[in-house]
Amino acid sequence: MLFLAMKQLFSKKTQTFLILMGVSFGTMLFVSISGVQLGLREYMIKALLNNTAHIIISGAENEITEKEVRSQIYPEGRFINWITPPGGKRDESKLESYLGWVEILRANPDVYDFSPRFSTNVIIKSKKIKTNVNLVGSLPKKQIRISEISDYIIEGDFESLSSGGNKIVLGVGVAEDLGVSLGQFVDVLNAFGKITPFKIVGLSKFGDTRTDSALAFAHLSDVQKVNRTPGRLSEIAVSLTDIDKSEELAELWSSFSKDKVQDWRSANAMFMEMIKMQDIVRYFIMFSVLIVAAFGIYNVLSIMINQKKKEIAILRSIGFPPKKILILILYQGFFLGICGGVVGLAMGSLVTYGVGSIDIGVELGGSNHIFVSYDYSIYLSAFIAALFASLVASLIPAYMASRMTPIDIIRGQA
Amino acid sequence: MIIGKNIVKEFGDPPHRILHDLSFVIQDGEFVSISGRSGSGKSTLLYIISSLDFPSSGQVLFDDEDTSLMSVEHIHEFRTNHVGFIFQFHYLLPELTGLENVLLPPRNIDRVDEFRDRALELLKTMDVSKVADKLPSQMSGGEQQRVAIARALIMKPKYLFADEPTGNLDSANGEVVMNILKSINKERGTTLCLVTHEEEYAAMAQREIYLIDGRMSERG
Repeated sequence: MLFLAMKQLFSKKTQTFLILMGVSFGTMLFVSISGVQLGLREYMIKALLNNTAHIIISGAENEITEKEVRSQIYPEGRFINWITPPGGKRDESKLESYLGWVEILRANPDVYDFSPRFSTNVIIKSKKIKTNVNLVGSLPKKQIRISEISDYIIEGDFESLSSGGNKIVLGVGVAEDLGVSLGQFVDVLNAFGKITPFKIVGLSKFGDTRTDSALAFAHLSDVQKVNRTPGRLSEIAVSLTDIDKSEELAELWSSFSKDKVQDWRSANAMFMEMIKMQDIVRYFIMFSVLIVAAFGIYNVLSIMINQKKKEIAILRSIGFPPKKILILILYQGFFLGICGGVVGLAMGSLVTYGVGSIDIGVELGGSNHIFVSYDYSIYLSAFIAALFASLVASLIPAYMASRMTPIDIIRGQA
Repeated sequence: MIIGKNIVKEFGDPPHRILHDLSFVIQDGEFVSISGRSGSGKSTLLYIISSLDFPSSGQVLFDDEDTSLMSVEHIHEFRTNHVGFIFQFHYLLPELTGLENVLLPPRNIDRVDEFRDRALELLKTMDVSKVADKLPSQMSGGEQQRVAIARALIMKPKYLFADEPTGNLDSANGEVVMNILKSINKERGTTLCLVTHEEEYAAMAQREIYLIDGRMSERG
């Protein structure tokens, strides 16, 4: 039947080519739109994970509750109508047991690596210019392993922080504000006004002006010293081997610890909503385009069946059963789906490559091109969708053709 | 042997009777013509005899086997292996060459290679070897009909049914086709059932079934 199906398809070359193009363009659009959207998403997630991590373990908020105040003042449990209920924080949040977490994280095979961090707000000063910065202290080698931070260093080297000794990586915006460059020194002022000189060993650029103008990195122990809180940690950033397990593990660890354990998705719920919206739009576009292509296939096959009625009658009178007629038409739909899909994938990948080559004139994450994705899942879902649409579109004409009896057609022709 | 028993065929609602209680026997190897005026029901009768259609009532028996009781698979297998059809309008598949058209019935049972030599031989017998690699659009009407006859004969059918095979041909080509059909019946012993409105060709048969308004008037 494949032989006959191909003969029929190629006897109408223009018609076949046009419908093939319809399927191909649908597939191409989906691949290229998805490539750009997913590329952007990958970039945004990467950028996001540099500031956060798959899972962040931080100290729980130490808040004063109305209940504990009431039990202290009125232990007999009287009803109190507060004019202003007691509240506020008892102390700043601290990670309770770093070593306990180290033990848990090392024992878990899903944990790729983790990095203890301590962040504090400082003022960085150069000559008379000052700027407020969030100074993040980490163990540089571990930080490099759990994030893509190295990709965002546009000058110098993040690993230079490893040896400690008051070295700093400044956000490019901070450096611009202070008018400093690589190799120069800046003064870091803590909350007590104490100045510590730091040498600039790198400049980072995340592409977000607010981040780049308010972020700096140093070695963990240097930041702890600046803040006069040796040994204190604000958080542990955890990287997993499978990012999709972040929610499950965060929930598990939360269940046995007072510390706050948050996965990156719940920490960025709004961002995830945006991604969901993007996905909906992407699938809507694919659905619409493929519906149009499917209607094209349906029309072509229906017209073809009308034109080939007498040939179907001949095949039936020769002894071809309805099942074979059904297969004959389905093969044609299948062929249109496979070929249209493959051509569409190739065209889509070329368009994606073309879009990815566009120079946007801004260097982000080590590249100054539009971020695109060539993830296999895009190509797989586009191909499956093209094939599915083609098969569904050819099913009705195929069924119609298989129901034709030779005698009805012959009488119709007479 | 084909036996027709009390065949009635009605169409439409309210039913309009086309064939009225027809009974007949066609012996193996016989050449029978069905003739009559336009609208007399001759093509309808041929389609019923040949298993392409079924009677509203009555029976058609092929060697005592009732076609209306055959399963769908069996009737298709029966048509492929035992029945050959020739239509007035040739009905060749336009995208296939002459040889590929002849090989259509073997293709249905995936035995194309096995029948290739026979197909070429049949085309030679029909004197249309030269169109083996040509498309129907590149053939004359006579050539197309001869290719259609070769296709009908490829499976060595026991029964050959022809519905006005000369109806779309000029007289010279019509005569060639009729001579071929007659020789097939004579030399191969194929039972031949021919529908024609031309008296000359009807008279070539051993027996003639003449229909008047769906009623039989046998002569021959």
